[in-house]
Amino acid sequence: MSARILIIEDEALVAMELKFALLDLGYQVVGLAADAPTALDLVRESEVDLALVDIHLSDGPTGIELGRALGQERGITVLFMTANPGMVRDGVAGAVGVLPKPTDDYAIQSAVDYALRRRNGEPTLYAPPELQVFN
Amino acid sequence: MTKTPNWTEADRLKALRATGILDTDREQAFDDIVELAASLCDVPVAVVNLIDAERQWFKAEVGLGVRETPLETSFCRHALLESDRLVVPDAREDARFACNPLVTAEGGFRFYAGVLLRGENGAPLGTLCVLDVVPRPEGLTPLQSRALEVMASQVMTLLDLRRGLARERASNARFDALADSMPQMVWSTRADGFHDYFNARWHEFTGTTPGSTDGAGWNDLFHPEDRERAWSVWRHSLATGDPYEIEYRLRRHDGLYRWTLGRATAVRDDEGEIVRWFGTCTDIDDLKQIERGKELVSQELSHRIKNIFAVVSALVALSARQHPEAKAFSQSLRTRINALARAHEFVRPHTEISAPSVGAMTLHAFLEAMFRPYAGVQGAPRVLLSGDDAVFDDQAATSVALLFHEMATNAAKYGALSEPDGWVTLETRKADDRFILVWREHGGPRVTGQPTRVGFGTTLSTLSVEGQLGGRLERLWLEGGLVVKADLPATALSRRRAALKTA
Repeated sequence: MSARILIIEDEALVAMELKFALLDLGYQVVGLAADAPTALDLVRESEVDLALVDIHLSDGPTGIELGRALGQERGITVLFMTANPGMVRDGVAGAVGVLPKPTDDYAIQSAVDYALRRRNGEPTLYAPPELQVFN
Repeated sequence: MTKTPNWTEADRLKALRATGILDTDREQAFDDIVELAASLCDVPVAVVNLIDAERQWFKAEVGLGVRETPLETSFCRHALLESDRLVVPDAREDARFACNPLVTAEGGFRFYAGVLLRGENGAPLGTLCVLDVVPRPEGLTPLQSRALEVMASQVMTLLDLRRGLARERASNARFDALADSMPQMVWSTRADGFHDYFNARWHEFTGTTPGSTDGAGWNDLFHPEDRERAWSVWRHSLATGDPYEIEYRLRRHDGLYRWTLGRATAVRDDEGEIVRWFGTCTDIDDLKQIERGKELVSQELSHRIKNIFAVVSALVALSARQHPEAKAFSQSLRTRINALARAHEFVRPHTEISAPSVGAMTLHAFLEAMFRPYAGVQGAPRVLLSGDDAVFDDQAATSVALLFHEMATNAAKYGALSEPDGWVTLETRKADDRFILVWREHGGPRVTGQPTRVGFGTTLSTLSVEGQLGGRLERLWLEGGLVVKADLPATALSRRRAALKTA
C-alpha cells in the first residue's frame, strides 16, 4: 500500500502541483490544508503516514508547532517545506528535516523516499543533498 | 621706606572677596591661631584681620570682643604698605599713630606687630597681628617673629582650603543640577563598583527612594534573565577598566520592563588609577520595537519573494500538465526558475534571523548551495570551489544564477557531472579591476570538439555574462574536459554598491 501523504501549504498553486507530482510518483494524497486547524481536522479523519508542512500558513507562522505536534503526538513523519529554512535552523522535535522552496520533483521524490524509508525502519545510505536533516 | 606696590587696591579687594571669608562665623582653626599668637607673644590681643574697603573685619580675635572696626583707626592699614611686617614698639612715639584714638585713649594700644596675609598675586588681604597696651621697645624676639610668620602662612593655607572645599561643594551642586535635569538616568559608583549616586530621573523611572538602590541594590531592578549577564559585564569592566555597555530590561515603577542601554566609563586620577565610574541608562525600548518591526517586515518580504518564485514554478508545471509535449520545456524552465530563486536568497535584505542558514551572503556560499544537488555519494561535493569570494547584488543575481545553472546542467547531461567519477573545479579570483571565474571539468567523457549547435542554455549564459555583466565568456573544448572562462569587471557583481561609492 502506498504511503498516505498530507500536504499543508497555503499557496493553492504550489499545493496543487505538489499533489500532482506525488500522485505521479505513486503516492496517495490524503488532502490539502492551508492552515493548522484544517490540517488537524484532516489528521483526525484519516490515516496519514507523511506530512509535507510549510511554515507560513494562512493562519500565520503556525507550521512549526503544527509539524511538531503531528510528529510527536500523532506519529506522522514530518518534512518541512519552506522558503525560509533558516526559521527551523535548530531543528524541530518530532520532524525529519526541511526542504527549501522552490524545489524540483527529483528533490521531493528523494526526500519523501528517504523519510518513508526511515519511517519503515528501512536502511538509508545517506540523506538527499537538498534535504537538511534534523539531528 | 615704602615701595611702589605691584598691586592695585581693586586687585586687592577682588582677591579678598574671592576668599569668601568676610562675615563668616568664627571657626576653631582660626581661633586656635590667635590664641597661640597671643600666648607666644605674651600680649592680650591677637587678631586675624582682613582689610575691607570701608572697614577691617576680624575672622578671629582675642582680647577685643568685636568682629569689625572702622578703617580710620586701623593699624593694619599702614602695615599693608610695608613689605612683610610692621612692628611698632611704642605707638605714642610713632607719627603715624600718635593721634590715633585707639592709642591716645586711657589704656590704649602702645605695641603692635603684624605680619601680612598675602594672597596669590602678592596683594595683602590683611594681617595676623598682636597688640599690647604697654610699649615693647625691644619688639618681638626672633622666635616670636618667626612664629607669627608661620602662623600667618597657616592662615592663608586655611583660607585656600576653605575656598577649595567651597568650590567642590559648588561643583557638586552644579553636577547635581545638571544630572537631575538630564532626560537620561545617571549613576555613579566608587572604584570598587559600589553605586553611591543615582540622579532624580533614575528614582523617578524605577519608583525607588534615594538610597534604596545604593550598593548592589540596582541589580534587583533588572529583568531576572538579564541579571547574571549584567553582573558579569560589570565585573569585567571593574576588573579591566573597559567601558561598560549592555542592553538589558529595567523594571519601571509600574512593573513594566523596558529595554535600556546602560553605559559607563571610568574616571582616573593622575596616576591612571580608576577612582570612579560614571554611567547612564537610556531607554531604548521604542528603538527595540522598531527593530522588531523591521525584522518582521524583513521576514515578510523574504517570505513573499521566495513564495512568488515557488508559485511561478508551480504555475509553469501545472500549465505544462495540460501540454504533455511541453514536459521537457517545463522541466528545464522550472530548474532555471529555481536557480533564480536560490540566487535571490543570497541577495535580498536580511536580518540575523532571516539570513540563510548557510552563513554569509556571498558568491561562494550561493554556489555551494546551488551545486549541492550534484553532490556525490554521501554528499561529497563534485564542484570544488576555490579562490577569492565576492558579494553580489540583485542586479547580478539573475546572471550569476543562470550562468552556473547552465554550466552545471550541461555538465550533468553531457560533461563531467554525467559520469560518477567526474568532477569540476571552479576557481574565482580578483585580478586588479577584473574578476575571473574558471570552470574546469575533469573525469568526464572525452571531448571531441566544439558542438555544432549552440544550445539555448549557452545563449542564455553568454547573454548574461556579456550583456548583463559586461564581461567576456570563453569556452574551450579541451580533450580532458570543457573549460569555461568568465572575465568580468570587478564591479560587475556589485554594480549598485560601486555606483554608491563613486556617487
